Amino acid sequence: MPIRIVTTRLEFEGQVYEQRVVLEGDEPPVWDAAADLHVVGKPTPRVDGRERVTGAAQYTADVHLPGMLIGVMLRSPHPHARIVSIDASEAERVPGVRAILHRFNTGDLKGTSAGRPIFAEEALYQGAEVAFVLAETREQAEDALRLIRVEYELLPFVVDPEAAVAPDAPRVNTEQERNTISDEWPKTYERGDVEKALAEADVTVEVTFETPTALHNAMETHGGVASWDGRTLTIWSSTQDVFGVRTQVANALGLQQNQVHVIKHYMGGGFGAKFGAHNSGILAAYSAYTIGRPVRYMLDRTEENLAAGNRPMSRQTYRLGARRDGTLTAIDLRTLGNIGALGGWFSSVGLPAKELYQCENVRSVDVPARTNLGTQASFRAPGVVEGIAGLEVAMDELARALKMDSLELRRKNHAPRYQLIDQPYAVKTLLEAYTEGAERIGWATRDDEQRRYPLGRDGHLRRGVGMASQLWGGDGGPPAQAIAKLLPDGSAVILTGTQDIGTGTRTVLAQIAAEELGLPLDAVRVELGETEFGVFSPPSGGSMTLASVGPAVRMAAVEARKEMIEIVSHLAEAPIDALDVRDGAIINRETGKEMGSVGSFLQQLEGHEITARGMRGPNADGVIVRTFGAQFAEVEVDIGTGDVRVVRIVAVHDCGRIVNPLTFSSQMEGGIIQGLGLALMEQRFVDERLGAVMNPNFGDYKVPTIRDIPEIEIITFNHPNERANTLGSLGAGEPPIIPTPGAIANAVAHALGRPVRRLPLTPDYILNLLNGGE
Amino acid sequence: MQAFDHTTADSTTQALTILQADASGASKLIAGGTDLLTLMKGDLLAPARLIDIKPIRSLRYIRFADDDGLTIGAGTTLAEIGRDATLAERFPILPQSVRDAATPQLRVMATVGGNLLQRPRCWYFRGPYTCWLKGGEECFAREGENKYQGIFEQSLCAAVHPSDLAPALIALNASVEIEGPNGARTLPVSDLLQPPTADRRTESTLADDELITAIHIPAQPANAHGVYLKAMDRRAWAFALVSAAAHLATDDNSVMTHVRLVLGGVANVPYRATDAEALLIGKPLTPELAAQAAEAAMAGATPLTHNGYKVPLARELVQRALLAAAKR
Ligand SMILES: Cc1cc2nc3c(=O)[nH]c(=O)nc-3n(C[C@H](O)[C@H](O)[C@H](O)COP(=O)(O)OP(=O)(O)OC[C@H]3O[C@@H](n4cnc5c(N)ncnc54)[C@H](O)[C@@H]3O)c2cc1C
Ligand code: SF4
Repeated sequence: MPIRIVTTRLEFEGQVYEQRVVLEGDEPPVWDAAADLHVVGKPTPRVDGRERVTGAAQYTADVHLPGMLIGVMLRSPHPHARIVSIDASEAERVPGVRAILHRFNTGDLKGTSAGRPIFAEEALYQGAEVAFVLAETREQAEDALRLIRVEYELLPFVVDPEAAVAPDAPRVNTEQERNTISDEWPKTYERGDVEKALAEADVTVEVTFETPTALHNAMETHGGVASWDGRTLTIWSSTQDVFGVRTQVANALGLQQNQVHVIKHYMGGGFGAKFGAHNSGILAAYSAYTIGRPVRYMLDRTEENLAAGNRPMSRQTYRLGARRDGTLTAIDLRTLGNIGALGGWFSSVGLPAKELYQCENVRSVDVPARTNLGTQASFRAPGVVEGIAGLEVAMDELARALKMDSLELRRKNHAPRYQLIDQPYAVKTLLEAYTEGAERIGWATRDDEQRRYPLGRDGHLRRGVGMASQLWGGDGGPPAQAIAKLLPDGSAVILTGTQDIGTGTRTVLAQIAAEELGLPLDAVRVELGETEFGVFSPPSGGSMTLASVGPAVRMAAVEARKEMIEIVSHLAEAPIDALDVRDGAIINRETGKEMGSVGSFLQQLEGHEITARGMRGPNADGVIVRTFGAQFAEVEVDIGTGDVRVVRIVAVHDCGRIVNPLTFSSQMEGGIIQGLGLALMEQRFVDERLGAVMNPNFGDYKVPTIRDIPEIEIITFNHPNERANTLGSLGAGEPPIIPTPGAIANAVAHALGRPVRRLPLTPDYILNLLNGGE
Repeated sequence: MQAFDHTTADSTTQALTILQADASGASKLIAGGTDLLTLMKGDLLAPARLIDIKPIRSLRYIRFADDDGLTIGAGTTLAEIGRDATLAERFPILPQSVRDAATPQLRVMATVGGNLLQRPRCWYFRGPYTCWLKGGEECFAREGENKYQGIFEQSLCAAVHPSDLAPALIALNASVEIEGPNGARTLPVSDLLQPPTADRRTESTLADDELITAIHIPAQPANAHGVYLKAMDRRAWAFALVSAAAHLATDDNSVMTHVRLVLGGVANVPYRATDAEALLIGKPLTPELAAQAAEAAMAGATPLTHNGYKVPLARELVQRALLAAAKR
């Protein structure tokens, strides 16, 4: 088939990229609203549900190979130190110890942070790699670890982001002059004239809002199991990107890409922190390769929380200006963020300020602070969760200043077109989401006396209702490939190289293939999570897996079906147009009669397997594709104890066509629960004098429990977004977490009758607020 | 965690014999292990030998005495306390106190004896920092992250006792029965748990070679009722920010004839609010009086940088606990 090379725009985790991709063949026409679908759109239990709940599913830590060594890491206890010397002689004598790796014996073995050795001369944060012990058992490795003697030269450090960007701050990394990403920072985006607009505004408000550093805490930690057989290196990696791991490992070990085989069959969560092999995976691969024994290195929970990424804190300062009638005239934002020791990008906290509301004068200043703390990582809608919370809290404050209903204020400033470059949105249903959500939560009665004071005015309970909007990409894009194989008995295998990171990818891809192949769902097997047998697929993140890989699978299935019908047409001597396939049977369209199963035809041939390729086509030009939505929260605050209980969340999200309502609602619930965690309890604590994280574990870093979870009502429009891709579907991974913290914060402010200025809304903060503090 | 030997004891006598035979500190009793193992995994403790007392059946019972008192074997689990029907009827404050302690999984392992002897959850204590309580010079929490620390100063250490059971037991005037090299002794729980000192950097006065066999709860005044309230920053699986155990009895005119008020989460050990008790005794409980008592209970509080919220929180819990106990 002839190929084309096109440049296409891809939005990933809130950042926009232009990429050149190869395309081949033509995609089928989009499934529009009238499409007659039988498998897609039906509530479909997960095809791998049984393996997952019975424990048969093999996660990375479950991989056990004969002769496997276990790795454990000695990590820097100091936030900033030069590693002067390492004496591992005593540790090496511990029975079972096979190797101890550190900066004096690994050359410049590069990790996943651009150009930096894994074992660097300078440890830049508490938890940085110092020495890696490989032993026959974990116990032996830990015994050895205690015997390694390291001489550290302690260096000045800084962990507070505001202090880090002050002129006289200690250097986070002695090799870098300034504690930021590069000389290009801070960066400013501006349209219009913000100062002038603020000066002329009838009403202005200034709001500083702070969000905490949150830790991903996926159930499965980072790590890998690697094995080298003299020709190929196989690595089971806890990753959202098997092809990224292949590149990283091949580069680190100096192997060809055809010598590296990456496997990720089942995933215990990633949430954005696993785009690559992580240093732990590189080390597993390196040691397996150099020692010639299989190696497993999985982080423990503490390491995970110190050295595997975080959603960085943000301190957002807004100045909003408006006319008396509520028209927004100016948005000014300064965002301070903490990128950690090695961060190289700044999350999109400013995106909502630039895009959500119609406004001519907007400025957003991004101030990334480098600190002696673990490096940030993408975390489910990085930046936008925080930015929506800040902006929506500020909008509620503006509404109070204007004495206007806050939802009315939002409607009034609705942005019909994309403002960063003037373009239309393919579909924008935000106003509908407002209406639907307001109706279901009972927005109109939110100030009713009995509702606000469930125990009367003298009682200790206050109820409040608040909301926040959601915007996000989720249309995916090329490159993404798939192969559909139709086997002689009429069963099918779909090969992709994508990952199912727990979202149900296997299931929805099987539905799409079954739909186009005309096969029952159980006649389709989807293979994913492997570089060796799979074909290229992008990282699973940015809510783009379904929207990228789904169309490729669909096209492959369409092509395979074409060949199948052609074969049947020859064998049955019937015109192609007369043939249809449904539920595994060939049907004569004219008579409606079943002519036999697909297998009964294919088996007439000598060993023929149909193999067809599919590719995700380019994204639409001249139009912006987005998911929109809104969430409404009702909360109950105990003003005596500061306890906040979320009573109910109404979530309205437009993600285009819903391929599987069950996996969709799983995504919605998971996102909302994670957002609730950020709103109410999740928070990394750092001791500034020690430069140390105080709660790097599941006991002290609190995530929501089942008792914390409210009633959740999910509404979606389920209309195909015809400009998005041939499915009309958009990703649903990130949208649900985006508005939850903001909606809860606004609900709490409503309950208390006073603004809140930070997350999480813990009892101590609420009590301080009520007792006159900030 | 470091390697250790493990011995299962069949009886308390056997456990004590092994305990006393070993050099001081080398052996440790293990009951449910829910605290001990976390300390060992954190390299805070590295005993050479664990003596497992969980299988000792004779340590596991709830026995009601003829005089209306009660004895609970030290090996009884929190889950057993939580589901005992008679206990729920006669001493409801006890099941209330364990209802939100830890998690269901932990409660089936955690024993009453171990619960009293669990160590603080202070982050510095649990982490790799040699703070004062671990024999160092400085309390890092005082100037550091002290949101969960105490508001009453009882020693250089600012950590709080994590037990939910202990405040309730002290409110019931309970004592522990102890066996050691010199035979048996009985000690009020309020004497077992004492703020650490320069020479004893721990919250318990139990000697290394002693074993708690039981908790004894004396008969309570007629009409006495108790309530335990716990404030948490998550709805399950969280230690108390503050807790309040109120136990009181009233006469026919609603006048309080007996009051014990004990707070958790505010000091090194459960804090008995004696000033508040004195204020309450001999009067009928009104919301105003409860508020005054709450105020009195907080007299002398010296909150640190991040735990000032505990003062209004404790006040609130005291009032609610008193009013609820009076209503029963
Ligand atoms: C995640 C988590 C959350 C928790 N939350 C709570 C909570 O909310 N509220 C609460 O009250 N507790 C909580 N706990 C603590 C838990 O209740 C205690 O760890 C438990 O009660 C200890 O009992 P154990 O039998 O497991 O003790 P072990 O861990 O076996 O022993 C603890 C200590 O007591 C000693 N010991 C045990 N029995 C005896 C005895 N009979 N005589 C002498 N010494 C003895 C041991 O030598 C050891 O030093 C929590 C614990 C965890 C891990
Ligand atoms: S509060 Fe106690 S345990 Fe915590 S750091 Fe201070 S001395 Fe150590």
